[in-house]
Amino acid sequence: MAGKSGRTIAATRESGLKDKLFSWEGALILVLIAVNILGATLSPNYNVTNILRESPRYLAEIFMLFGMAFILVLGDIDISVGSIVCLTATVGCLVSNAGHGVGLVILACLGVGLICGMVNGFVATRFTELPTMIITLGTQIVFRGIAEVALGSGGSASMTNLQSVAPLRAKLGPLPLSFFIVLVAAVIFIIVLNKTTFGRKLYAIGSNKTTAYYTGIEVQQIRFFSFSLIGFLAGLCGLFLLASTYGANTTTGNGFEMEVIAMCVFGGIATTGGKGNIIGGFIAAFIIVCLRIAFGQINMNTQLILVIIGVMLIVSVLIPSISTAFKKPKKKTS
Amino acid sequence: MQKDKSLIKKITGSREASLVVVLIVLLAVISVMSPSFLSLTNISQIFRNNALTMLMALGMLCVMLTAGIDISITSVLAFSGMTIGLMQKYDVLHSTPLLFLVGMLIGTACGALNGLIISKGKVAPIICTMGAMYIWRGMAYVISNNSWASGADVSGFSDFGKEGSVGPYVILAIAYVVFFIVMKWTKFGRKIYAVGSNTEAARISGINVEKTIISVYAIMGLLAGLAGVLSVSIYASAQPNMQYGKEMDVIAACVIGGVSMNGGRGSVVGTFLGALIIGVIAKALPLIGIDAIAQNLVKGAIILVVVVLNVITQRMIDRQALLRREM
Repeated sequence: MAGKSGRTIAATRESGLKDKLFSWEGALILVLIAVNILGATLSPNYNVTNILRESPRYLAEIFMLFGMAFILVLGDIDISVGSIVCLTATVGCLVSNAGHGVGLVILACLGVGLICGMVNGFVATRFTELPTMIITLGTQIVFRGIAEVALGSGGSASMTNLQSVAPLRAKLGPLPLSFFIVLVAAVIFIIVLNKTTFGRKLYAIGSNKTTAYYTGIEVQQIRFFSFSLIGFLAGLCGLFLLASTYGANTTTGNGFEMEVIAMCVFGGIATTGGKGNIIGGFIAAFIIVCLRIAFGQINMNTQLILVIIGVMLIVSVLIPSISTAFKKPKKKTS
Repeated sequence: MQKDKSLIKKITGSREASLVVVLIVLLAVISVMSPSFLSLTNISQIFRNNALTMLMALGMLCVMLTAGIDISITSVLAFSGMTIGLMQKYDVLHSTPLLFLVGMLIGTACGALNGLIISKGKVAPIICTMGAMYIWRGMAYVISNNSWASGADVSGFSDFGKEGSVGPYVILAIAYVVFFIVMKWTKFGRKIYAVGSNTEAARISGINVEKTIISVYAIMGLLAGLAGVLSVSIYASAQPNMQYGKEMDVIAACVIGGVSMNGGRGSVVGTFLGALIIGVIAKALPLIGIDAIAQNLVKGAIILVVVVLNVITQRMIDRQALLRREM
């Protein structure tokens, strides 16, 4: 069926893509199960209790996944989040060391994160000619620079007043508090992105900014909001990281931005904008967390996991183009 | 009046000229605050300390001209540097030229792989090179097996890049001259600009876009591999975590130098000036009494100010052009 008008081609392609996305999440779930079976066979200690005990360290990163999904769907990128995590953890640590309670620590972390995000958003919306990669590259260096100045010559700070983060380490049964926050956040953000007009506007902007603008969507306000949101979530990540490590140093959060982007991409969210959804990213995040824990338990060279994540990332983005390459000859023969 | 206007236009019109002005102002301010700054030792140290950034900025220029980006470069650097470091540690190879060749070959292979995935697999450059960033950094750790090559291991080889040796300067000079000529006056150089300015038009006019993109990333890999060898030579050691995170410095040098991320715009001279400005700032901050701790803060702020100023001047130029048309 050689459709001569562009319209038919576009229509057939769309339904094909939809099927692919459905199967993509299904495939991710299979991978997640496979990873868990692998972990269980490799290590005798790989069980639910141990996973839950080790998970808080990794769970903090997943907060940022939701914000990054918004940013990527918009067709933007934010590589400053690792530095925002570093800055918020630093500020939180200093506030707590000054003798303040948990309320002020939370407020400081979230506030600083939000402000950092708003700075990104402000520059990104005022100077729309600039690629957000460049803007956040600059703020990445600036935010970490501020943290370095605040940390002083030692380059690290540890908490003297451990009580001030105790409520954040609370457990509800066997599960850490951050696990519930991640779950609740996941539900909220999945609904927002898939079922609300706001979410659909994000896709519209990501697919075509100019068209979205002419249809009356507040493109710049939404971008500003999304950048502020990811800043806020990075602050949340910094807060929980502080609560699980009791300190901050100049390398805190190093490389988080790439890990979060990798989770999103592996989950099927395209960096070109307008494609993918949070569920995929969420499953992908758990795949990576489970892999990390499993490899950590059998004392495998921890850096080998970098190679595996890298290969998975490239293979996962290659699959769509490989499958279209296989489909093409079929179309020609029919 | 008339003259003034044309001078301003010249400076704001040409990216390189405005960068030269920025550099001169910067140097003037610094040498007023610290008269000893403009000495030969300091200047040669600026080049030596930034040799890796300056070298890789050339490759990044080519990649960004095709509207791509490569964030795997410092991982490739670490992998190639670690390989040649270990080769000396375990007495596999000790000849300096051969070690250079091995490092460059490794880099080229890594880069060509990136190019292949990006052009044939239609993968976004940032994602592909992010995967490569993980893979090669991980591989550097895996082959090192938690050890590193110390100064004693690379003793003969490190003479090439040690303080006072002309080796790194010669490599830098050759690289910049070659790239200046290739980008300006050869068919291949113009093809890169053509692909970056308008891929479709380039394809229709008979340029093999995919081949160009693969070679651009291979060149980037070659330079990253070379930088890895050079890094082992300059710092007389090889660790798997070397130059971690420095890829952003390279991108920043290009951006300050006026290379557009959307492709097609940028020059070798601009890249050189951008890298030089970053180097001068890093060297000057401690000398003018700003604490070394604040270095990143100042560097980041300058990057932001430069890119924002660039947008503002561009808007002014556009508005003036529009006004002239209306008249």
